[in-house]
Amino acid sequence: MTQPAVQPGKPGARNRVAAHPYISAAITILIVADIFFALYVPLYARATPKVGDFPFFYFYLLIYMPATGIVLWIVYLLQRRLLPAAPAAGSTSEEAR
Amino acid sequence: MSNVNAVTFTIVVVLFVIVAGVGFAAARWRRAEDMLHLNEWGLGGRGFGTFIGWFLIGGDLYTAYTFIAVPSAVFLSGAVAGFFAVSYTIIVFPIAMIFMPRLWSVSRVHNYVTPADFIRGRYGSRGLSLAVAFTGILALMPYIALQLVGIQAVLTVMGVGTTSHNTFIRDLPLIIAFLVLAIFTALSGLRAPTMIAFIKDALVYLMIIVAVFYIPARIGGWGHIFAAGEAHMKAINPTTHKPNGVFIPTTGNSQLAFATLALGSACALFCYPHAITATLATRRRDVIKRNMSLLPLYSIMLGFIALLGYMALADQPTVASVKKAGGNAQLSVPFLFQHMYPSWFTGISFAAIVIGALVPAAIMSIAAASLFTRNIFKEFVKPDASPRLETRISQWVSFAVKLGALLFAIGLPKTFSINLQLLGGIWILQVFPALVSGLFTRWFHRWALLAGWAAGMIFGTIAAYRVATPTASHWGGSTDIEFGHTVYIGLTALLLNIAVSVAATLIFRAARAPQGADETLPHQYTADPAEAPAPAPAAAGTGAGTSGVVSD
Repeated sequence: MTQPAVQPGKPGARNRVAAHPYISAAITILIVADIFFALYVPLYARATPKVGDFPFFYFYLLIYMPATGIVLWIVYLLQRRLLPAAPAAGSTSEEAR
Repeated sequence: MSNVNAVTFTIVVVLFVIVAGVGFAAARWRRAEDMLHLNEWGLGGRGFGTFIGWFLIGGDLYTAYTFIAVPSAVFLSGAVAGFFAVSYTIIVFPIAMIFMPRLWSVSRVHNYVTPADFIRGRYGSRGLSLAVAFTGILALMPYIALQLVGIQAVLTVMGVGTTSHNTFIRDLPLIIAFLVLAIFTALSGLRAPTMIAFIKDALVYLMIIVAVFYIPARIGGWGHIFAAGEAHMKAINPTTHKPNGVFIPTTGNSQLAFATLALGSACALFCYPHAITATLATRRRDVIKRNMSLLPLYSIMLGFIALLGYMALADQPTVASVKKAGGNAQLSVPFLFQHMYPSWFTGISFAAIVIGALVPAAIMSIAAASLFTRNIFKEFVKPDASPRLETRISQWVSFAVKLGALLFAIGLPKTFSINLQLLGGIWILQVFPALVSGLFTRWFHRWALLAGWAAGMIFGTIAAYRVATPTASHWGGSTDIEFGHTVYIGLTALLLNIAVSVAATLIFRAARAPQGADETLPHQYTADPAEAPAPAPAAAGTGAGTSGVVSD
C-alpha cells in the first residue's frame, strides 16, 4: 500500500446509454424482470394449476430456463444496437465460428 | 469386490481411460509457441469461440454438485434445500450478464489471468488482492472436495473397494482417478478439461435424456413421482419430529430461505475463480454474452437432474438400498440408475457422473493454482518470476490444491454434500463487493473493502461452524436464523460485508486515506480487442525449445 494517491478516472462511457435511452431502459427492465420473477417465490409456490403431472411450482421453474435463454438473447441483440454505428470488422465473421 | 458388475465396471474404466488419453493429448491441441506461459497453460491461449466456450463454461459450471449433491438434497428434503438450485441457475445468467463482459474486457486489455490480478490493478492494493486470492483458493477446496464425494458415490454403488476395511484400499480407486486427473491437468493445463468437456457434455446429455423419458415410464409416470416426493416431504421424521422436507415452499420462512439460497449462490458463482477462468479463456466479448443466453439450455437439464431425487423416492428398491447403505442420500442417484438400467447403460451413466466431476475439478485446480502463483508467489515471494517459472509453479500448485481438497472430503460430514458447495459460497461471496463494485466504480475505499471482507469472512465462518444437525455437531448446514427468518448465511455475511465497506469508506474518505493507484481506464471496461494480449515478453527463448514438461 505504498502507491501514491492517484485520483481515479471519472467514468465517461455513459454517452452510449444516453444516446439510446429506450434500448437501455428495455435492457434494464428485461434483466431486472428476469431476476425478479425467479426470486419472488410467492408468485409460483403453488401446487395448482397442474401442467400435465407437474405441480405448478416445478413446471414454472423448468419452463423458466428456456425463457431466460430467450430473454438474454434479446438483451444481447439489444446491446449490439448500442454499439457505435460501425461495429468492429471482425465481429461479423465471428458468427461462423 | 465380489458384487462388482463386470459390464458396468468395464464401461466405466474404458471411458475413463479414453478421457485420460484425451487429457494427455490435449497438450498438443491448438498448440502455442510457448506452452509455458500462464495465458496458455491457465487460459488455453484465450482463444475459445462461442461453440467451444459453451462446452467449456457449461462443463465447468455443472459439476458433481449438479449430478449428485442437488438430487440427493431433493431426495432428502425437497424444494428448499435442493430445488432452489434450479432458481439459482436461472438468475445466475442475468446477474453474470451485468458484470462479466466488463471483467472480460478489462482483463483482456491488461492481460489479467485471475480476479485478484484485476483487484490489484484496480485498487493498487496488494492486501486486497491477497485477500481475494486467498478466499478464492479457500473456497475452491470444498468445491473440489464435492467433486471427490461425487466420484466416491458412484464408486461405492459400483461396489469398488467398499468391502475392504483398510481405508487406503477402500479409497484406492478414488486416489488413482485423482492422480490421473492431477497429472494430465499439470501437463495440459486448461486444454485438457476443455477437450474432455465435449465428451462429458455428450455423455451427460445422453444420460439425462434417457433418464427423463425412460425412468418415469418404468416407475409409473410423473404423477407417481411427484406424489412420492410430496408424501416423503410431508412424513414426520422420527429423529427431528418435523416433516422430512418441503415439497412446495408455501410458508414465508421457507420461501425466504429458498430465495436467499438461490440469490446467494447465484452471486457467488461467477466470483469463483474457476468460473472466471473459463470466461477469460474466450476469444471475444460477444462470446460471453452469447453464452449467457445459450447456457440456460444446459440448465434445463439441471431441472430434470434435480427431479431424479423424487424419482429415487418413487422407486422402493432405491429407497431400500439407500437405507441399507446407512442412509447416505448421495447414493440415491447411482442406486436409481443401477436399479433402472441394464448394466451397460448404468456404466455409461456412471462414467458421465465421474467425468462430469473431473472436468470442473481440473478447471478449479488450475484456477486456484493461477491465483497462488500470480497473486501470492509472484507478488510476495519472487516478484521477478519469469512466465516460465510462473507456469511451473502453477503446475505443482494445481497438484497440491487437489490434495487439500482430499482433506476437505475426508474431514467434513459428507452426508449432505450440497453443503460443501454452499460453504465455499459463503466464503467466495465475500469478494463480491470488491470485485463487482470495482467493475463499475472506485467509490469504495480499498481498505474499507478489506475491512468488509474480513467482517464477512469471520461472521460467515463462525455462523456456518455453529450450524448443528441431529447427525453433525458442526458445519451441519448453510442456513441459519437471523431475526426470526431462515436465510442463507452467505447472504447475511455479504450484507454485513457491504455495510462495513460502506461505513468504512465514509470514514477513510473523511480521513483522506490514500486511495491507491488505478491502472484501468473507463473505456477499457467495454473494450473488445480482437487480438489476445501478447504474452508478456518472456525471458525464456523462442518457441522451438519449449520442451519441458509438456512434450516429455
